[in-house]
Amino acid sequence: MELSRVEIITSNAKVETLLSTMGQYGITGITVSQVMGCGVQYGSQEYEGEKKKDPTLLPKQAVMLVMPTKDVPDFLKYVEEKLYTGHIGDGKIFVSDVSKVIRVRTGEEDFDALFPQVH
Amino acid sequence: MNEKKLGLPSVIATSVGLIVATSCLLSLGQGSSAIGETFIISMIIACVLNILFALSVSEINSLMPDLTGGLAQYTLACMGPFITIIVMVGGYLVCNTMISSAECAMFGNTLNNVFPELGLSGSVYCVVLLVILIAVNLRGIDMFAKIQNVVAYGLITSLLIMGILGTIKINPANVVMQPVVLSSNFSDVTGLCGLAFFLFIGCEYAIPIANQVENPRKKLPLGMIISLVLICIMQIFMVIGFKNYTPWADLGESTTPHVLYGTALLGKFGTYWMALVSILAVVSSVNTIISSLAYIAYGMAKIGLLPGFFMKTNKKGAPWIGILIFGGVMLVINAFGLSTSGSLSFLILTGTVFWMAAYIVTHINVLILRKKLPKAPRVFKVPGGPVIPVIGSIGLLWMIWDIASDNATRMSIYSVCLIILAFLAVYAFVWVKKVMKKDLFKAYPVEEVMAMENELYPVYNDPKTGEPRVRPVASVK
Repeated sequence: MELSRVEIITSNAKVETLLSTMGQYGITGITVSQVMGCGVQYGSQEYEGEKKKDPTLLPKQAVMLVMPTKDVPDFLKYVEEKLYTGHIGDGKIFVSDVSKVIRVRTGEEDFDALFPQVH
Repeated sequence: MNEKKLGLPSVIATSVGLIVATSCLLSLGQGSSAIGETFIISMIIACVLNILFALSVSEINSLMPDLTGGLAQYTLACMGPFITIIVMVGGYLVCNTMISSAECAMFGNTLNNVFPELGLSGSVYCVVLLVILIAVNLRGIDMFAKIQNVVAYGLITSLLIMGILGTIKINPANVVMQPVVLSSNFSDVTGLCGLAFFLFIGCEYAIPIANQVENPRKKLPLGMIISLVLICIMQIFMVIGFKNYTPWADLGESTTPHVLYGTALLGKFGTYWMALVSILAVVSSVNTIISSLAYIAYGMAKIGLLPGFFMKTNKKGAPWIGILIFGGVMLVINAFGLSTSGSLSFLILTGTVFWMAAYIVTHINVLILRKKLPKAPRVFKVPGGPVIPVIGSIGLLWMIWDIASDNATRMSIYSVCLIILAFLAVYAFVWVKKVMKKDLFKAYPVEEVMAMENELYPVYNDPKTGEPRVRPVASVK
């Protein structure tokens, strides 16, 4: 089974919503980091009108998870709808292929490493 | 913390309360008396077109949620400032002022009907009411806000009960024997669709509650559709009741058909019941409309579409200039008198033309936003691609074309609309070109329109031109 890595960078308030949906999309683990960053607006607030000349870093959350590739489109649709407010700063989603996953404790690889196995 | 969200019943209750107004009863009486029970067909056509509009406005709301300016901001992002000014000033400010004047006249006419021994004309009651409501609004008191829903539901429940009682002929002694159908001519039926459309107008007022609704993606459009269908059913009972208890000719002449019907059905008790409920409903709704029109003008001034004086507030925080202008215009219209059913329905139909034009613009906005942001996530998307917005627009255009079955009335309505439109076009042209210094038809970027909602936007940007203000650079010590 092919696996994909989904990385979501969004505002702090949205992570709770994503955590509550993990089970629905076959997600077995999630990593959340507090990060600082900016996008194309260079950290400008939407009301400022003008884009800043120098980047200003704003606090954000980076959510990383690996899931079956076949479930990615549905999951992305759901996440997009949940994050969407129409305002700048809703976030970005990066999707990439995962070539290998290893569960260190058992040495299991790929799908077996992500999902619970009976030993 | 989990905030308690509104369910489907609350959405339906709110939508129904916002759509039904006392002046709807006049349209219902006028339409029924013109062609008899075939008016039900006009009502069903009008209801379907309103459902199509509800779907379109739900999609735009899902794409540009939580905007207080609603249609003004959607249109600004799709068609630019010129059309936005015309649609908002014509479709909401002028149109609501006209329709509220008709609503207010229902108050005067009802009192005149119930207390003929006082010998006062309906206009006197209306002027007194408006002076009081203007004063109340200037003091920043919305004393009817808390009871508005209760009053609206009281009116709806009363009409439903009265409709059913009339349909089942609860009082056989007063039943009138008359033809069920006066005309089944297709052009007569379609010519009354404009009047029927007014019965269902206003479902978009439920949109601001979207963020309080649980699963608004499904429940908001579904709630609006169910409420339109419920209103249609309630009105159908009323039409059948009218046929059973009010002679068609008397119904057509009456400026207070609900009182006429209540009296025929239940005698004096019916008179007082309908009069009390409708008077309360008129007072609360006209009070709210004066206030909300002043705040719409305030919001439009905030984004630079109207002169800045609309943003001036008095010590009580009330936008006093807007209150005086809108309340004042209603007062003048009522002072000249709206004592005949013909003048009232003329006013309603003229207002409805502007409102329908605003609905057409909304359908077109849906198509423009699909082109502009084809991949943006929409929590609700109108099914069937462009079919529903296109059918909705064509249907509304046809209703504007066929706004009245009588050709002379139709031409008079068009004349008034064209005169108002010409004034609005001149204002919009001068304002956009000379004050805003913008292109007439260049749409604003969606993100800029969304940013305008932020209360800091006018601090950082000139609302008229949208240009960033020059800010002093903070000194570094």
